[in-house]
Amino acid sequence: MSSTQSAVRSHAEAVQVSRTIDYLGLFILFFVILGGFHVHAMLTMGDWDFWSDWKDRRLWVTVTPIMLVTFPAAVQAIVWEHFRIGFGATLCCIALVLGEWINRYFNFWGWTYFPINIVFPAILTPGAILLDGVLILTNSYLATAVFGATAFALVFYPCNWVIIAGLHMPVEYHGILMSIADISGYHYVRTGTPEYIRMIEKGTLRTFGKDVAPVSAFFSAFVCILIYFIWHFIGRWYGTTKFLQQT
Amino acid sequence: MKTIKDRVAKMSFLGLLLALVTTSFYAPSAMAHGEKSQAAFMRMRTIIWYDLDWSTDSVAVNEQVNIDGKFHVFAGWPETVALPDIAFLNIGIPGPVFIRSESYIGGRIVPRSVSLKLGSDYEFSVVLTARRPGDWHVHTMMNVKGGGPVIGPGKWVNVTGSMSQFKNPITTLTGKTVDIETFNEGTIWAWHGLWFAVGLAWMAYFCKSPVFLPRWIMAHSGRRAELITDTDKKVTMAFMAGTVVLVMFSYGSANSAYPITIPLQGGVLRDIPALPDQRGNVHVKVNGATYRVPGRAMSMDLTIHNGSDTAVQLCEFQAGAIRFLDSAVCEDETLYPENVLAPDGLSSSDNSAIAPDETKTITVTAQDASWEIERMSDIIYDPDSRFGAIIWFNGEDGSRQSAILNEPLIPVFM
Repeated sequence: MSSTQSAVRSHAEAVQVSRTIDYLGLFILFFVILGGFHVHAMLTMGDWDFWSDWKDRRLWVTVTPIMLVTFPAAVQAIVWEHFRIGFGATLCCIALVLGEWINRYFNFWGWTYFPINIVFPAILTPGAILLDGVLILTNSYLATAVFGATAFALVFYPCNWVIIAGLHMPVEYHGILMSIADISGYHYVRTGTPEYIRMIEKGTLRTFGKDVAPVSAFFSAFVCILIYFIWHFIGRWYGTTKFLQQT
Repeated sequence: MKTIKDRVAKMSFLGLLLALVTTSFYAPSAMAHGEKSQAAFMRMRTIIWYDLDWSTDSVAVNEQVNIDGKFHVFAGWPETVALPDIAFLNIGIPGPVFIRSESYIGGRIVPRSVSLKLGSDYEFSVVLTARRPGDWHVHTMMNVKGGGPVIGPGKWVNVTGSMSQFKNPITTLTGKTVDIETFNEGTIWAWHGLWFAVGLAWMAYFCKSPVFLPRWIMAHSGRRAELITDTDKKVTMAFMAGTVVLVMFSYGSANSAYPITIPLQGGVLRDIPALPDQRGNVHVKVNGATYRVPGRAMSMDLTIHNGSDTAVQLCEFQAGAIRFLDSAVCEDETLYPENVLAPDGLSSSDNSAIAPDETKTITVTAQDASWEIERMSDIIYDPDSRFGAIIWFNGEDGSRQSAILNEPLIPVFM
């Protein structure tokens, strides 16, 4: 076979090769994103996602969507622009959550024996589907940033409430009020994580009384819009091939 | 060529097998928590732990170990370490092999950070419940914000039984009793699994048709619009609507299951009561102190004035976690860790009793290999060459008095 001949001899073979490339490409893409996004997530919002007694209604709600709208925005910019693939954000979030679960199960539970109900990651799929959906329906990055990134942040707390609500039941513990999550954090000793570095309920957002979660979510949504743009352009830059002219 | 390849493959396989076997048979456990690596001045001049008592050194799973004692917050706190305005009474163990059931300072439970005053003494207690079988090194520990962990003496505690027997029940204010060890795990797995499946279904829908090559060709030949069909848009709308409905349902179901919830609790406890004066009326003036590097010995020229109404005798010198005892006067009756106990480590030029109102000048030497083993001799490399210690006297009437030492230290290299 010469270099000018096709590697495939029939349409059926071409389809087969194309699908093989699809599966290989998806496999590689999935795990590359899993690795990269996981490192990014752990470095930027690690403890909020590691521990149930960090998952508060104020900082966790604010920080997590802002830090996690990044890779979806960049990956969407690449796969939508070059392939019109509409599941970039979901691919990122599914990969991240799988990576987190591998980490939590084998490291946190298997190696250091922290119960799973203390170290579970956040649910991210609903926000990712909404982010992808807005891009598909509008075919507009601007609309995706404004409406999609907003939805990504707003849906974060409600979709996770189902897995943390039980841990917020009140307990009188030796004369003081604690939630079950607080007690878990106190019981299961983290030698390197003293109580004072637990960043929860800090800030001056007191005007809205107890209803700070929606306000935090809206603030997070606003910042997510800006972050989406920044990471969209990072994605565009990353997905551009430039050729240098030989002089 | 094939022979060489076969040999390379064979040797590689043997190498891999050897690596696997050696790593399987040699798996040492962590023996300590880095207390020896901590700068000597931090161990001597920040938190000084004393009168420690471990209730036992062997327990079964679900049984408790109490660690009681006192700590002195050194008045000559080093400038290089942040002040203990925010500190947390922690415990140094390799992960949650015990759970910390209770911890107290000054009789108050301290699940949160506290504020400590320089020069004060505090009583503390930690109650641990055994969770995982094994031999575990259990340290007292105080985390200081901006200063890091100040680790105290550690003792080996053996835990027997099986972790599967461990239970951690608690009753909420709404009357529910739950086992914290496993509570809510089913819900977490179920909802994560469900949303993972929804995400996979969403991706699978778009992956049923070609993903990369044909789409790339069409996208780059001006036919992008053809790649998203009306059906795709309808499916997208269905998924989005389904997502919103499912989120609303999950939120509502959680609120129904747990109608009463509270936010996470945090904050600093600033009014922890200190102990009344623990020192007594024996006053010690350090006229000079040297550390002789080859002999692993600290010598101090002390002028001691007994202001109490009973005769006293020098008994013990404690620097960091190491206790140097004069065996002719006293011996350890607690389960104090042997590696930081020098039962015959203290000697003096004249250790006769000091009568009330008498003043005596003597030379005291604290000598033991533990200076080197515990890396306390590294004090000669500290940026602020001072030593901090507690010196103890036994009274004829059975009382125990002490004095805090905080003076410059001169190394002797010859």
